[in-house]
Amino acid sequence: MTTINKDEIVDEANCSETKLHEEKKEDEEDEDLRKLLVPDVQNLPLTPPSAVESNFATYFAPDFMKPGHDQYVYRHANGLCVIGLAPSHVAFKDEGGITAVDFNVGKSDRSGMKVTGKRKKNAQHFESNTALCKISTKNDTYIVRLTEKDTLLLSCQNLLIGLRSRLPLLAFRSTRN
Amino acid sequence: MEKKEDELQEVLRALPSDAVKDLLSHQVCARCILRVFGVQGRAYASPSLSSLFAQHSQTQLCRLCLGILQFTYSDDTKTLLQNDNLPLLIAQTVQRQAYHFHSFSLEVSIPPIVLDNDNSLRSYMKTKYGSQPWFQQNLHIGCISAKDALKFSLVYPLEDLLECKSSMGPFRIRLTFCHAKASKGDEKCSDGAESCKRRKIGMSKIVAGPVFGERPTSSSVENDSSDCCEFLLEKANEPCHLTYFCYRTPFYFGGRYLKYSRNVSQTRWIIDDERMGEASVEEIIGGNILQACQGDSFKFHAAGREDIDVRMLGPGRPFIVEVQNARHIPSELSVKDMEKTINSMEFSLNKLVKVKNLKLVGSDGWNLMREGEAEKQKQYAALVWISRPIKDEDFQCVSSLKDLKVLQRTPIRVLHRRSPLEREKIIHWMTMETIAGSSQYFLLHLCTQAGTYIKEFVHGDLGRTHPSIGSILGCRAEILQLDVTDIKMECFLT
Repeated sequence: MTTINKDEIVDEANCSETKLHEEKKEDEEDEDLRKLLVPDVQNLPLTPPSAVESNFATYFAPDFMKPGHDQYVYRHANGLCVIGLAPSHVAFKDEGGITAVDFNVGKSDRSGMKVTGKRKKNAQHFESNTALCKISTKNDTYIVRLTEKDTLLLSCQNLLIGLRSRLPLLAFRSTRN
Repeated sequence: MEKKEDELQEVLRALPSDAVKDLLSHQVCARCILRVFGVQGRAYASPSLSSLFAQHSQTQLCRLCLGILQFTYSDDTKTLLQNDNLPLLIAQTVQRQAYHFHSFSLEVSIPPIVLDNDNSLRSYMKTKYGSQPWFQQNLHIGCISAKDALKFSLVYPLEDLLECKSSMGPFRIRLTFCHAKASKGDEKCSDGAESCKRRKIGMSKIVAGPVFGERPTSSSVENDSSDCCEFLLEKANEPCHLTYFCYRTPFYFGGRYLKYSRNVSQTRWIIDDERMGEASVEEIIGGNILQACQGDSFKFHAAGREDIDVRMLGPGRPFIVEVQNARHIPSELSVKDMEKTINSMEFSLNKLVKVKNLKLVGSDGWNLMREGEAEKQKQYAALVWISRPIKDEDFQCVSSLKDLKVLQRTPIRVLHRRSPLEREKIIHWMTMETIAGSSQYFLLHLCTQAGTYIKEFVHGDLGRTHPSIGSILGCRAEILQLDVTDIKMECFLT
């Protein structure tokens, strides 16, 4: 018959006790975490504001230089702006919608721009009303222009071409005023 | 006391008297004489040292050490001081600062010209006394450096005055001696580094055995004067300028923090004199620790960061607080108190920050935190809304995507301060959790690679992040809330 040390028994009991205690503590923590994560449904709005609405100030430039050429500008708090065609732009009214976007506007091909680094090297400066790109539809081409004098940062190659989409075209840094 | 005096007498008697007289006549001070003959230890700290060389007055500045070992120096007011009680002065300065310490470490900086002087003297001694029997005997001891001699002369009395031992530790006393005269060695080497090298190589070929007192030195040993018996050291006109102060090397506290508020930034954030958010994690944690340690300043470092409106939950984010020049040494108990104080801080009844596992860490705490920081995975819970009711297929659709590759162009909201790049990130897994009472809201749990922009992954950032939740589910998606639920790192878990 083997003699089991009294201390050993106590130790083992303590060991499994602390383990159980730890597991219980972990479960409690998980439970607490869950409670924090789940929101109160009552407080949730039916339709929350969109990311653009929350983060940008939206400006419209209706009939910019030509009737029907409605453009928008989303301006972020950090000064960067996104220009696009408003859904009321004539280009969307054409049959078949937008077919192509061309960044080659006579003088230089904007799609060739490569801006690098935190200091945004190689970004181009523009005057207001400079042509940025050409939007083609089945019947017509429209030119999108800058609404104010600014620095062009980069072009978004990933464009959504569709019937009603508002094209987010370009982002540029604007002086805060 | 008397025993020490006897010991000192014995040491002095053992020195070759003719050489000692010679050196004294050339204005070499008592301590320098001791060190030239390789004496070590308490002899330097003996208060009666100067009186034992009574035949020659020691009022002139030592040509070898420029007065450093005579405790003669000029202070900030350009006053020439000679103070046998230099240890007492230092001790009083230390005590005024109210540091707690268990040991101290003496750091000494002396002008390089003293080393040049030593070298010049060495060649003189070799020339004049090289044939003497005691010279050969002394070869294996060598000359004690002025720095070591100074430490011998200060450490013993300081140990008595400060009532603790001298040993390597965080509490340091630094003495800096500066001298206006540039090092002689610079002038010699200005011939051109090449000529210096050539001469050095030449010398090592000629020299056969060990030279008296030669330890490897960086400065030039090529003395053209080795032939003549001239004692070349110039008269010392100016003493050195001494500054001294005490300081503590930084303490490091490591732990994990949780952030319960959506209005608290991680670090202090001030724009145009206005603070963004109610408070910052950095100030809450660092401020408390600094206060408890009575330090000069602190630096807060964390393993990654989260936005001001994102809560940090779960096990918490690892951080390190570095405290400069702490006056108090925190005990384990006081560290636990720090933790309690931080955890009880509230802003209008809301708990802001919680700290776990706070403890003093050594310098290895850094490695633990930085190790694989970029590889570590992070887990999030996002409150997502979609523009159409949730369908049963959606759950499966989302859960089935494992290690999904996402291409993220730099989000517009950070584009002003980050490079415009396209970054490929991996979403390791995702699960959707329904919220009772809502058909268009759900909780999205996801585990991603470090550096993934979660908000942009949900709403797509005007098409700059692809794929996004919106594109996966074929509708518009918006994110209302984001919480970090786990940082999968090993450090500071206990």
